Amino acid sequence: MAIYSKEELFLAISTVIDPEVGFNLVEMGLIYDAVCDDEGNVKVTMTLSTKACPMHQLIQQWVKEAVEKMANIKEVEVEVVWEPVWNITMADDNVKKALGAG
Amino acid sequence: MSPISQEFAPPFKLIAPFFILGAIFYLVASLFLFAFDASSLSFLNPLVISFVHIFLLGFVMMTIFGAMAQLVPVVLEVGHFGVELFYAIWPLLLVGTLLMAGGFLYSSALLPYGGVVVLISMMIFVGEIFLTIKKVEKFNVVMSSVLLSNTFLFFGIIFGLVMALGYAGTIAVDVTALLKAHVYLVVGGYITITIMGLSVVLLPMFGLSHGFSLKSLHIALYMMSFAVVSVVLASLFDWSVLSYIGYVVSIVSLFIYFYQVYIIYKTRARKENDIYAKSLFFAYISLVVSLLMGVLYLVSEDESLLLASLFLLFFGFIGFAITGHVYKIIPFLVWFERFSPLVGKEKVPMLVDMLPVKSSSAQFIFTSIGVVLITIAILLGNSQLIGAGASFLSVGAVALLRSVLYMINYK
Repeated sequence: MAIYSKEELFLAISTVIDPEVGFNLVEMGLIYDAVCDDEGNVKVTMTLSTKACPMHQLIQQWVKEAVEKMANIKEVEVEVVWEPVWNITMADDNVKKALGAG
Repeated sequence: MSPISQEFAPPFKLIAPFFILGAIFYLVASLFLFAFDASSLSFLNPLVISFVHIFLLGFVMMTIFGAMAQLVPVVLEVGHFGVELFYAIWPLLLVGTLLMAGGFLYSSALLPYGGVVVLISMMIFVGEIFLTIKKVEKFNVVMSSVLLSNTFLFFGIIFGLVMALGYAGTIAVDVTALLKAHVYLVVGGYITITIMGLSVVLLPMFGLSHGFSLKSLHIALYMMSFAVVSVVLASLFDWSVLSYIGYVVSIVSLFIYFYQVYIIYKTRARKENDIYAKSLFFAYISLVVSLLMGVLYLVSEDESLLLASLFLLFFGFIGFAITGHVYKIIPFLVWFERFSPLVGKEKVPMLVDMLPVKSSSAQFIFTSIGVVLITIAILLGNSQLIGAGASFLSVGAVALLRSVLYMINYK
């Protein structure tokens, strides 16, 4: 049985904020999936709003650190994927509204 | 902090001098305008040539080179070949710009020295970019634009040096014949193609635009490259028809590029009207008006239309496109260096918190009024209106300098 549910992992990752737009990665819709096995190994699948993001590695690192702060976590793998391509419809309504896209 | 990320954000102390000097030269260029007399404005007026070099070398090139230290890895998706080389670029470009600007005003004997120093500075820049491009495995249109623009810059500065030597009387060349080739290689080939290429990365990145085609950019790039080569060949072989074709094709290319920007604008998710959005909006409106005046010049051959068109292209389009991005690039670099190591440990500011709201607004308002006034003044041949516009521009330039220093010193 998994130590943490997807929702619990998303909650931990929601502490990571994109400093350019000012929203956390989860409400931006950038975190596609997060799974944890019964030994505490976590795999996060995420994307970025653009391939040219200069904070690519840094954001990956922050996500890793945010999950590692949870108790009994053994190893965290963060994979950045480009399919499906992120777009604003993936973001929460509050983000869309704040950006003027709602 | 991941060490790899440093490749995408070079140390800020390396880049800061480019932005500070760029803002100072922008102010100097604005102050130069007080000395302009509407009745004697022409492309061969030493004051005008000196002003153009202060603006293009001191502000435009200085700021673009600093920005490229950060943007090249972002666009090319590989680390710099040797980012430390940028430590040598700004002092050389500073000295070269001063020698050239002084040479045009006071003693043409300074021009060969200034030209050589600028040449060395730009060769280091172009060489570093080419060696970085060599690391790219798979090219896309933006990467191709970087390669293309730097190739044009390489030839543009060689033409510039030959002209400087000719102007000083060291060698016998027809400076007037080479002028168009030099201007087209540097302004059309380097500055414009650089803006075209980078903008399709930066505008969608900051505006969160997705799902648009880059077909128009491809066409615009081909056409601008064709136009630059046409004008260069026309200058070398005195083919006026080819030169005219080059002018028309470059104008059409810029209209097509504007259409590309419009498509990106229409698909953006982020609709806030911050200083970046306002600056870019003014820049692209200036581009269109400048192009329309360029078309009118081709029909009427009234030199005041060409001068006004170029002024608007320089201060309105290129100037605002650069200052708009300065408000994005400096906060990012400062934030990356000072605050990114503190993420997760203490509260850190957002990038928007690092913007000086009042001085950036003052810069936008005063500069835009100044640009409009001077464009009209050139068209009307009114020296007093040029002075009025220069006053607004100078206040705007002081506000820009203040904004740059505020962002750099943000703690």
